[in-house]
Amino acid sequence: MTVTDTGLYVYAVARGLGEADIDQMTGLGSAPLRIVTHRGLDAVVSEVGLDEFDDDALRRNLEDLQWLERVARTHDDVIRSVSSAAASAPLRLATICLSVERVRALLDQWHDALNSALDRIQGRDEWSVKLLVTPGAKDRSTVSSAVGAEDRPGAAYLQRRKNDAEDKARAVAEAEARAEEVHAQLSGSAVASRRLGLQDARLSGLQGTMVLNAAYLVDRNRTSAFTDLTDRLAAAHPALQVEVQGPWPPYSFATLEAP
Amino acid sequence: MTDSIAQPPTRAPAYGATSRAPNPASLADVLERVLDKGIIIAGDIRVDLLQIELLTIRIRLLVASVDKAQEMGIDWWRHDPMLNADARELADENQRLRDRLKELEPSKDDSD
Repeated sequence: MTVTDTGLYVYAVARGLGEADIDQMTGLGSAPLRIVTHRGLDAVVSEVGLDEFDDDALRRNLEDLQWLERVARTHDDVIRSVSSAAASAPLRLATICLSVERVRALLDQWHDALNSALDRIQGRDEWSVKLLVTPGAKDRSTVSSAVGAEDRPGAAYLQRRKNDAEDKARAVAEAEARAEEVHAQLSGSAVASRRLGLQDARLSGLQGTMVLNAAYLVDRNRTSAFTDLTDRLAAAHPALQVEVQGPWPPYSFATLEAP
Repeated sequence: MTDSIAQPPTRAPAYGATSRAPNPASLADVLERVLDKGIIIAGDIRVDLLQIELLTIRIRLLVASVDKAQEMGIDWWRHDPMLNADARELADENQRLRDRLKELEPSKDDSD
């Protein structure tokens, strides 16, 4: 057993990162960021207490959403900063090594795969596009006029509800079909694309039914072409709400195997 | 990829600073990426990978459907700060009280 009470949290592996790029930057617990360089790869690390990050502590802390949010947001902040300075492959949350030698050993073991991942994302950013539909926001007048509402209000109400449900299902199905078109067009303007899970409105904070959540890897010098395309697609599909966010670090594309 | 060196050394804009959406990244988006994406390399804390896999599955379920997650008994987030600003304040307050209690009663074990 090594008698050690700190470990190194590894945020990302970058290429061509200089000390000046991370000067003054801090990670978890406001610890300064450090670079561990080995065979041309730069691991971005900071010291963390093992009272918070060893097996037992992690098992406990990962159940604590406040802890998780703090660590996830700090992890993301560091990766955003590092990614704006050099090509960076984000590591998954809570990758801990017990010494600088162990970090070097990982860089050695995964050297070729990490280099390939960095090749794929160098000079590129991830953009997030979500499409939502809010059925029933319009067209309400056309529904209620279908039935004689004056003499049979109960039946009219039921009919209206049935029509509303059918309208909603139709609107969502229609939106899903349009979302496929939009996704195909955006994919054509990106180096790579990935579908992500649709999000519950209570967590996304977005109104409506999500019909597409996707990530696109875009060449940095083609960024405006991509965002212009999202604007044009939004104009062409007024029934869809288009949420564009970026640039993100290339989380969805920095994988160890070809996506 | 043989021409990766030929990439011009263009600098990215500050990430997040140019977000086109009105809101900063939601916690759902951040968790989705830092837990579910990114490179998986086993570090020295061996349990973390399995733990994070499990957590990822739960977060994935939760993000897809709060109701379905609850049906499946995933309720550890019930007083979830990200769903409810009041709950967040309450959680902070509880933590402060627990810390204070610990100071006042250093001999007692505060585990529940």
